[in-house]
Amino acid sequence: MKHARVLFNGSELDVTVEDNGQLKSKTDGQLINEADVTWLCPVENPGTIFALGLNYADHARELAFEPPKEPLVFLKGTNTLTGHKQNAYRPDNIEFQHYECELVAVIGKEGKNISREDAMDYIAGYTVCNDFAIRDYLENYYRPNLRVKSRDSLLPIGPYVIDKDDVGDISDLRVTTHVNGELTQEGTTKDIIFDVPFLVEYLSKIMTLKPGDMIATGTPEGLKDMQPGDKVVCEIEKIGALETYIVSEQEFYGDKY
Amino acid sequence: MTNNPIVKGKLVCVALNDAEQFEAMQAEFNEAPYKSAPTQPVLYFKPHNTWSTEGAEVEWAADAESMVVGASLAVVFGKECCRVSQEEALDYVGGYTLVHDFSLPEKSYYRPDIKGKCLDGSAPIGADVVAAANVADPQALSVVTKVNGEVVNEMPLSRTVRGVAELISTISYIMTLQPGDVIAVAFPGQRAPVNKGDKVTSEIAGVVSLNNQLGQ
Repeated sequence: MKHARVLFNGSELDVTVEDNGQLKSKTDGQLINEADVTWLCPVENPGTIFALGLNYADHARELAFEPPKEPLVFLKGTNTLTGHKQNAYRPDNIEFQHYECELVAVIGKEGKNISREDAMDYIAGYTVCNDFAIRDYLENYYRPNLRVKSRDSLLPIGPYVIDKDDVGDISDLRVTTHVNGELTQEGTTKDIIFDVPFLVEYLSKIMTLKPGDMIATGTPEGLKDMQPGDKVVCEIEKIGALETYIVSEQEFYGDKY
Repeated sequence: MTNNPIVKGKLVCVALNDAEQFEAMQAEFNEAPYKSAPTQPVLYFKPHNTWSTEGAEVEWAADAESMVVGASLAVVFGKECCRVSQEEALDYVGGYTLVHDFSLPEKSYYRPDIKGKCLDGSAPIGADVVAAANVADPQALSVVTKVNGEVVNEMPLSRTVRGVAELISTISYIMTLQPGDVIAVAFPGQRAPVNKGDKVTSEIAGVVSLNNQLGQ
């Protein structure tokens, strides 16, 4: 089942996404056309958002880094979250902002000290995120720092969370990004260095994981700059395709610019 | 683990904001891996599993040989704060309290320190929030920390690299802050070592205090 959250007639609504693409209200079964809703972050109470740096063998090579021996984990604020088909902004006067298409594992059950063998019992499902980064702002302190990674709207996620059992094996899924219809990023989850069971074990040794926590598992090679006006589609085989529109800082913030 | 009644969405902490520490680290800043001093505030999150409160026992981290603590003035937002100037920054503050940041000792500021900073219950936040209207100038405050009654740290807010209003403004251009979000603005550069069972008390004289004890 595919679980989404949308704004419909001014109210937040939990829906399932049906095979024909229609949305079905979880409360009263009403069928809704996608054209009539605004997509929200599919996780209702987002908890800790973990993101992985350099977690694909090919991407680590692309950035001329040795593959890490220990996961490079950083955290993102909930202010970064936005839904499918929403705007994300590009700051003024920067040289390089890129997308990062990532498989996201959503935690469904509280746990600490979870073994690799039991890890999948704690996953509710999967979704797709676009973990935008502004490379101009990298400084060598807690890198990648919040200024690069934790800006408003720079973590589009969705369109929905698909149940783990509907996906099955996640060890070789195609990962792609299209910018304005052109394929710019292509990889496979086969290249992931630290996989989901490893990460659940690793993180839960440090801290209690809770429902609504999310683990964004890193991105393969193929990072390119984007500009306002671009449409970016991040897709993961069997999971979904997440669409985002890039706007200028001024357009995004309007009166607050 | 104790839920905290104050913080709701984000707890943003500022590292390297003690001017004495910043000065002392100049040579290190110019070496690898940093290669130059930070030009922007160095920020980290304490995520929701870390949030705790006044009086709570703080878990001793599994297998940890040592832990450290720092205390900071906690700025609690009263209304949504997005892209504000320094001049208007304090208008968005609902009140002030204290944060304890219990951590593993910090060896480097190069990578996000998940292992050291994300321990369950490691960020107690004062239960009492002093209304912003009752604090004329947050830069005039000073945070004193005692371990088992002995003073281990004093952090006057006048000793910061960046003041409260400047930090609020800068951070509000990175992320929109919501009511109930908290910024911990300045920890002393020398965090105090603590042992199992220690009592940690921090205080802003006459304003607010925060008491915690390490577990066994």
